[in-house]
Amino acid sequence: MALQLDYTMDDTTFRHFLNGHCVVMHSHHYLALVTRLVEELGEIDGTRVLTDVVEESMREIFDDYIAKHGLTSPQERGAVGKEYYSALGLGKLQVSGDGNRGEVRLLRSHLDEGWVRKWGTHDRPVNHFTRGFIAAMFGAAFNAPVGSFRVTEEASIAAGAPEGKFVVVRNRAEGGAA
Amino acid sequence: MTVMRDTVVKSLAKVTVQGDENGLIPEYEVLVNLLPVSLLNRLSERLMAAAPPERKRDVEAGLVRAAYECGYHTGCGIITSEVFNDVVLPMVTEGEKDILRGAYAAFTAWGWAKSGIVQLKEGERMVIRAFDYYEADNTGEGLRAYMLRGLSQAFFDLAYADTYPDGMDTFVCRQTKGIEAGDPYGEFIVTRK
Repeated sequence: MALQLDYTMDDTTFRHFLNGHCVVMHSHHYLALVTRLVEELGEIDGTRVLTDVVEESMREIFDDYIAKHGLTSPQERGAVGKEYYSALGLGKLQVSGDGNRGEVRLLRSHLDEGWVRKWGTHDRPVNHFTRGFIAAMFGAAFNAPVGSFRVTEEASIAAGAPEGKFVVVRNRAEGGAA
Repeated sequence: MTVMRDTVVKSLAKVTVQGDENGLIPEYEVLVNLLPVSLLNRLSERLMAAAPPERKRDVEAGLVRAAYECGYHTGCGIITSEVFNDVVLPMVTEGEKDILRGAYAAFTAWGWAKSGIVQLKEGERMVIRAFDYYEADNTGEGLRAYMLRGLSQAFFDLAYADTYPDGMDTFVCRQTKGIEAGDPYGEFIVTRK
């Protein structure tokens, strides 16, 4: 599936839109610093706030695209998230799995490569942003409510691995078969 | 001739970015991303709401810092880029002042903030007004344009502090009005730290 990308601009405000959703450019410095900020906010589980926000926000965009294009199969629906990831400059994903579990390889990564450029390698995985993104991608693919999938980062480019690896498991409480 | 804002905005607004075959956007000496505004605003709202009172200033400072460093490094890449060189530099006759005018035209053209300089005392003080910016959609309490604060500080540092990358944190920006707080425009004042 080739994701259709419709870039528009409001001539009055100059805000930019991708497929009807307002988007704005930032750099790896921004995402790296925001990631470090949420890690420093342990008392409010800042990393959870970030993953939840990314999942909710991306899910709205995926569901909107899926509805507008009448996509029905999990493969087509899941491909929306994978292709959005690259279109937004976040990197390159390779995805496998079903409605109960999955695995995502992160072949290239805006955040990880940006983190290494900025601060060098880290002692643990940092890509909480992509964990939320993948949860949204699986939720959209299998038409499951937000919060249905738990995503863990098991290998990290920022921590020195040649590629990232994320394991996806459907939460039991949501009613999945995992 | 000085920088003709409308001409610059119209030219730069045509510039779009998109992931390459690796899903990356290497531009302006950094890796660029395109993020949904809904995500960015929701994140700052949730972090500020969740932070206990004694930590809210730290969260605010962290959000401004992220925008500042992004603006400082990416800003240097922007004002030395081919597109800035082609569009803005031919109109620059007043040095740093015109570079800053060009920068705010770029902020406008690229959808960060429909903004411009209303007062400038070179190397000392700058007042910015913004009539639209994505953080104006942010729900919450108080003045919340963390990104525009950080970017304004960054560009004043790039214009008037020591040469990149040694000029960081020379100036500071505070927000005095905000659309998100009910004002007709956002206002930002940059002064020496």
